[in-house]
Amino acid sequence: MDAAQVDSDEVVIKDVAFQSESIRRRVLTSYWIVVLLALPLWWYSTSIQRLSLPNSRVHAQESKQLVFSADIGVTVEGLNFDAQQLVRNVGDNLKDVIRSRELGYVFDVKLYVPSSSRHDYTVTIKNSTDSYVLANHLSFGAASHSPSEVPFKLANTLGDLLTSSLASKRHHDEEHRVMQYAPRYRLAFSLLNEDATAGNTAFGWEIQEAINRSLSPSLKQLSALHNFTIESHVQFHAPLAFTPKNLVVGDSTIPLHGLTQEQLTVFINSADWVVSSGVSNDPVLHFVLYVPSASRRPLRILDTEGNPTASSAFIVPQWGGVVIYNPPVTTSTENFHLDVSMLRNPFSIFQTQLLALLGVPQLPSGINTAPRNADNNNGETGTGRTSWQLDALLRARALEATKGSTETMTSIVKLVKQIDGMPVGKDVLDDVRGALDALDEVYTSALHSPRLALSHARDAAVRASRAFFNPGMLALLYFPAEHTLAVYTPLFAPVGVPLIAAALREMRDWRARKQAARTA
Amino acid sequence: MVKSTLAAAISVWLVLTSAHCHPERFSEHLSLKSLRDGRVATRFSFKTVVQDAVPRAPDSLADEDDAQHYTLFPLSLGQILRSYAVTEMHLTLNSGRWDYTRWGYPEEAGVATGAELWAWMGDSETVSLDERWKGLRNALAGLFCASLGSLDERRTTSPSHSFKPEGHLPKYSQPHRLRHATLPSENVCTENLTPFLKLLPCKSSSGIASLLNPHKLFDADWHGMAIHVTWDKNEGVVVELSFQAVFDSVRTNFFRKRDWSFEHLFGRKIVQHCTAAVASVIEVDLPVDVAYSISPEPSSALNGIAKYDVSAFSGGLDVSLKWPGEEAFAYPLHPPTQPLTDFTITRVLTGPTQSRGQLSISITNNLPDEATVLYVETMPWFVQFYLHTMRLTVDRRQRDDLLSSLSYTLPIAHGRPTLFEPRLRLPPNSTVALTMEVVKSFLQYTEHPPDAQRGWDLPPAVLVPLRTTRPSNSTTPNVSTTSDATPLTQSLGHRQPNLQRIYTRNLLVDLATPDFSMPYNVIIMSSTLIALAFGMLFNLLTRKFVLVNVAPRVVAAEAVSK
Repeated sequence: MDAAQVDSDEVVIKDVAFQSESIRRRVLTSYWIVVLLALPLWWYSTSIQRLSLPNSRVHAQESKQLVFSADIGVTVEGLNFDAQQLVRNVGDNLKDVIRSRELGYVFDVKLYVPSSSRHDYTVTIKNSTDSYVLANHLSFGAASHSPSEVPFKLANTLGDLLTSSLASKRHHDEEHRVMQYAPRYRLAFSLLNEDATAGNTAFGWEIQEAINRSLSPSLKQLSALHNFTIESHVQFHAPLAFTPKNLVVGDSTIPLHGLTQEQLTVFINSADWVVSSGVSNDPVLHFVLYVPSASRRPLRILDTEGNPTASSAFIVPQWGGVVIYNPPVTTSTENFHLDVSMLRNPFSIFQTQLLALLGVPQLPSGINTAPRNADNNNGETGTGRTSWQLDALLRARALEATKGSTETMTSIVKLVKQIDGMPVGKDVLDDVRGALDALDEVYTSALHSPRLALSHARDAAVRASRAFFNPGMLALLYFPAEHTLAVYTPLFAPVGVPLIAAALREMRDWRARKQAARTA
Repeated sequence: MVKSTLAAAISVWLVLTSAHCHPERFSEHLSLKSLRDGRVATRFSFKTVVQDAVPRAPDSLADEDDAQHYTLFPLSLGQILRSYAVTEMHLTLNSGRWDYTRWGYPEEAGVATGAELWAWMGDSETVSLDERWKGLRNALAGLFCASLGSLDERRTTSPSHSFKPEGHLPKYSQPHRLRHATLPSENVCTENLTPFLKLLPCKSSSGIASLLNPHKLFDADWHGMAIHVTWDKNEGVVVELSFQAVFDSVRTNFFRKRDWSFEHLFGRKIVQHCTAAVASVIEVDLPVDVAYSISPEPSSALNGIAKYDVSAFSGGLDVSLKWPGEEAFAYPLHPPTQPLTDFTITRVLTGPTQSRGQLSISITNNLPDEATVLYVETMPWFVQFYLHTMRLTVDRRQRDDLLSSLSYTLPIAHGRPTLFEPRLRLPPNSTVALTMEVVKSFLQYTEHPPDAQRGWDLPPAVLVPLRTTRPSNSTTPNVSTTSDATPLTQSLGHRQPNLQRIYTRNLLVDLATPDFSMPYNVIIMSSTLIALAFGMLFNLLTRKFVLVNVAPRVVAAEAVSK
């Protein structure tokens, strides 16, 4: 075929409308335009919703510090101190004390002279040896210290009263023992008989009465922090998963049964015991009154050297408390009923354990809860919590909740950044925003009221954990991007190949023609 | 001797109740009965009564609940009942099929294969009834390690005439309502028995409960456990935990004899009695018209029932029943001359296709009197009834007059099941056949269970005999809901049927199952089609046609014009 012939043929074909070069190019371009326009639409319709989280706000929270403040009015009675000078001294010492505690928050304590009722706390320095706290008042007996020591001692006492070791940055055993903060706890009391068939078992207890007497005042005071649900039951078969150690002490003919320190860690036999109902998701504090079987009495707790100790109770960290009740030695196999007087001792231990598990700070040594000569024979001293202790706990708990929710939100941000396939819906965003707002409230309210700060911090913690556990965030984890591509390949490959091939061919032709034109 | 032990038991009870003002009372009971085919039917029953307690009123759900203190009553169960304000509840978990024709009536009516849960709860605005029903079944699922959580709306019905409360219902501001659901494919096993035993005051370490040996119980031909919670206005809240099992003692006996003992049946004997129980009684149905020997000497034997008071046997109790005159046990070759139950019911689903079928039910009335019964059928939505094809026949003669009333709840696709509750009159000594055509629906791809080819278990139907009242014979006072038809009423010429409900066996329905790789096939198929269409069009539009000269111009022009 010669060139002239081809040219004339091509002219003929180009007379047909769609065979002309320009039309073909336009067809091809329009195909490409449609494909390119459809791409964003396809991308949009197959991609997951990932709203952007307020990352900078979350990270800003990490560097924020809680600031609490307290005003203390000081009065000096019957002592020839220069009150102003004393208060200045005490204030300086107190600053050092608080600094040495390494608290997680900034604590701004101001002392005022003279005292008035508008202060958060009041202190009276008296010429006596008796120191005690009543509600938000501290009566400090200066007579037991030398005058030069008074500012230092008072500052130490105030430091102990105003802070809780829970809030300290330093590592403490106590931290592991104390339950995580929850607005509601379930208190489950169990009377466990090791083996009822052996006789002489406790068949019942006056539990409600015992709770009313020993625990109710504390529970009422703690209601600012937590609500409590109470349940109790009795079990007749609660075997131990191990055999206690047998030992004879002195020349006694009755053998002792001892629980070694290692055995205490496995004392709770969760396979055989039912210690709570598990009807709700609230964290449970278990209190177990354990009555060993008649052949295992008395059951004692041993110290590390293997000698019996006077204590009959121990705390299982973050779980609850156990009290071992050894009934008086008798030969009868008659079953008995635990009345209120028999329960007084175990329940006062339960009360101490409850406070320890909830992180209520103890009064510093040498400080009583009432004047020494006051009518004090009701036997219930030490049950009342002063507002010093409660406020210290409120501050510690507010700090804990604030720190917790900040950490949760940081984790959310980190997780979303790490996993590309994780959707972030509007509800997650709303919860994160709500938690951040609540945290802002915490920082502003902390200055006036630790109680308000806690309630905002609690709100923040609830929202943050709700955002973290939002089920929508997991939805598409199991449908990765590769999968989407694999599903679409049967469509994309056969459609894409002719499109690209045609485009390439057209380009090649165009270039060839251009070259031909240049050489011509 | 009998009197003295009884007196001792009563005095123990008095001491326990009066000295400690015990508001809770626990008693345990075991009955054993030799069956016609050499098997032994046993029933353990553990009953706890909280005296003068009242179920929680649903209106009080908004308020904080009081502190709950229990001594013998299971705390976990009690808290579930409190938090969902349940007045009456019955849960049964059974494995195997109760053979009514050979074993007669079970001691406890609830023998439906699989799980069955029904509850009466007061209606309330604070927390809706269905929300509490959901909470109840989820809580029970957690407590008993059973998949009761799947007793959802797709399985829940509220029969209007059957499953009447067995106790009393307190008067609350709003009426009580029934929720009923069955899960036929649920199986009972050790993981359900362990939490069951934990609810008992003496666990399985002493008393009658120590015989509950999972190795033997789950080897039994039929076994099932039940939890019944009722309220009796004179007594209080009553919880009864029971375990029924039918053992094949002939199979496990070396000499093929039907002799049994505790050691033989349960692999254990009672070593210690449960001190928390005010009464622990074992009852053995003694054989009639055959020589037998029972050891040890029972505490009492009255009306063919030997009774043992467990607390009187301190050195361990191993009850055994022997037939000394018998060599190997001869299985009865013929069915009993007098049927063991008043009614016999069979239900089958026929039809070879995966879309149509026929449900055939035949109910035989073995009584010489006409009886009225309710037939309760709960069908998942995917088996739909053609109600107009319902035929009632007796001896192939159509008898539409036997249907006196019918309540029918339409199914909702992918939601509510059908409830079909006709009231039927059964002529004396005859068999009524009820047939109806059904259509089987297509399920959605995701609705199929993991082993879709196996088919779906359909829940058992229930036959509930109704008390018949004859105006002429109004003096039949001594018929209680649970007592069998007594010879006394029979002699009056009109026999009341046994009112215990009877369950049919489960059905297996074969539904059309898709090829489960279908979505991918669909994607690939449609992609191929689109690609083909696109390719054709695209090629046509962008192909460069070239004229090849093989002939004169005319031919070429023709080729172009085509």
